[in-house]
Amino acid sequence: MKSEAASTPEQELRIVGFLCNWCSYGGADTAGICRFKQPTDLRIIRIPCTGRMDPLFAVKALIYGADGVLVSGCHPKDCHYAVGNYYARRRMEVLKRFLPFIGIDTGRFRYSWVSASEGQLWQQVVKEFSEQIHRLGANPGLHEKIDVEASLFLF
Amino acid sequence: MGSKTEALAKQFEKVFDDLELVIGWETGFDSLHATPAFIRQPSALGRLIWNPFCSHNLSGYLTKTLNATAQEDAKKIGICVKGCDSRSVVALIQEKFISRERLYIAGIPCRGTVDLRRLMRLKPSLKDVNTVHIEGNELAVETARQTHRFPLQDVLLRKCLQCRYPNPVLYDELIGEPLTPRVTEGQAPPFVDKLEAHSLEQRRVFWERELDRCIRCYACRNACPLCVCQDNCILESRMPKWLSQRSGMSEKFFFHMIHAVHLAGRCTECGECERVCPMEIPVALMKEKLNQVVKELLDYEAGLNPETQPPLLTFDPSETGI
Repeated sequence: MKSEAASTPEQELRIVGFLCNWCSYGGADTAGICRFKQPTDLRIIRIPCTGRMDPLFAVKALIYGADGVLVSGCHPKDCHYAVGNYYARRRMEVLKRFLPFIGIDTGRFRYSWVSASEGQLWQQVVKEFSEQIHRLGANPGLHEKIDVEASLFLF
Repeated sequence: MGSKTEALAKQFEKVFDDLELVIGWETGFDSLHATPAFIRQPSALGRLIWNPFCSHNLSGYLTKTLNATAQEDAKKIGICVKGCDSRSVVALIQEKFISRERLYIAGIPCRGTVDLRRLMRLKPSLKDVNTVHIEGNELAVETARQTHRFPLQDVLLRKCLQCRYPNPVLYDELIGEPLTPRVTEGQAPPFVDKLEAHSLEQRRVFWERELDRCIRCYACRNACPLCVCQDNCILESRMPKWLSQRSGMSEKFFFHMIHAVHLAGRCTECGECERVCPMEIPVALMKEKLNQVVKELLDYEAGLNPETQPPLLTFDPSETGI
């Protein structure tokens, strides 16, 4: 619901991170313990497994104004529940390819695999993704009032 | 087409002893409207019709109003399906909502069904229709006074213009000869391409304008044969509360996203959601795009083979690249 087109580099944006309890949440913890410096735009939500990640969590966040959504879990073959992330990667990839169709930049969504020991990798993922979101700027969101002038009339 | 109507009745007459009821179409409140028919007496089979106004997908009734799962000593349910409808039946069998053994399927090769709203815009005065049929690339509507002809492009439902499965994929008896599809395999859905030719910003504005009309009547969800959660739909659940009653753009957008995402890799493109939409929103377009993504990524098309499983309900450890 925000209208500002782009953000200044210093402005903090809102990235919602959905992290699996067993790997990536641990990875983020490791990064913290090791005092790896990270951008501060990320807000973490802990989920039991990426298999719990409903693609609609990401969609809802993006529709309601989050600037980016990051999903991270155990590496494939390393899922705590054996197969959760196998389901997840199909869902996440389908969602990623679908988002541009409804006018949401696919760059605002990312999924990655980070294990509990990979603090360094976590730092890198967060840094890269935050930079990417800053390049895209604030989420323009949806307009409550429609712009008939700019509309397409396809059908 | 009159002969197909008769063939349909005759076919069901032959097997009626094994059937509990027959679901088909009959003439509605006037000759322009077909309506679903539930026939329990063989003497009433004469009510059945088949013409290009029979646009309803009847497979939704198999789960929503009837129970077509396997039961001991239960008679079969007879159902008429077009090509698209048969895919919905297959999808429901795949997910075990209905049982193939309970069904007697009369498949009808279909050249397309009419979008009444488009037809009425072209010819608002149309009434007292005697017969309606498709001749080549035209719809011929014979009234008491004269025969009106309309190009198919102008009067068919949007889904019919891009139909790749005019012939039922699953049936016990095929009524009439198989047809050649209008669009061939491998051709991308033309309407999806039309929107994708525009920029990200324009696409968002397009959906804003379309979805702004949404009144959240949930007709699209109710008509969808694959929206099977019924009373447990997350749209109306209070705990967890996914969607508020506020009627803003975000809520409308998110409602349609829920429907689309839940149908990813399952939607058979029967177009019911779009046909029943009172605000004429092209809601099926989102599902067409999702199907395209699933086809590209997982090489799967919904509702073709009762033995397979929708790809988002399963996984493959050997997959690479994603």
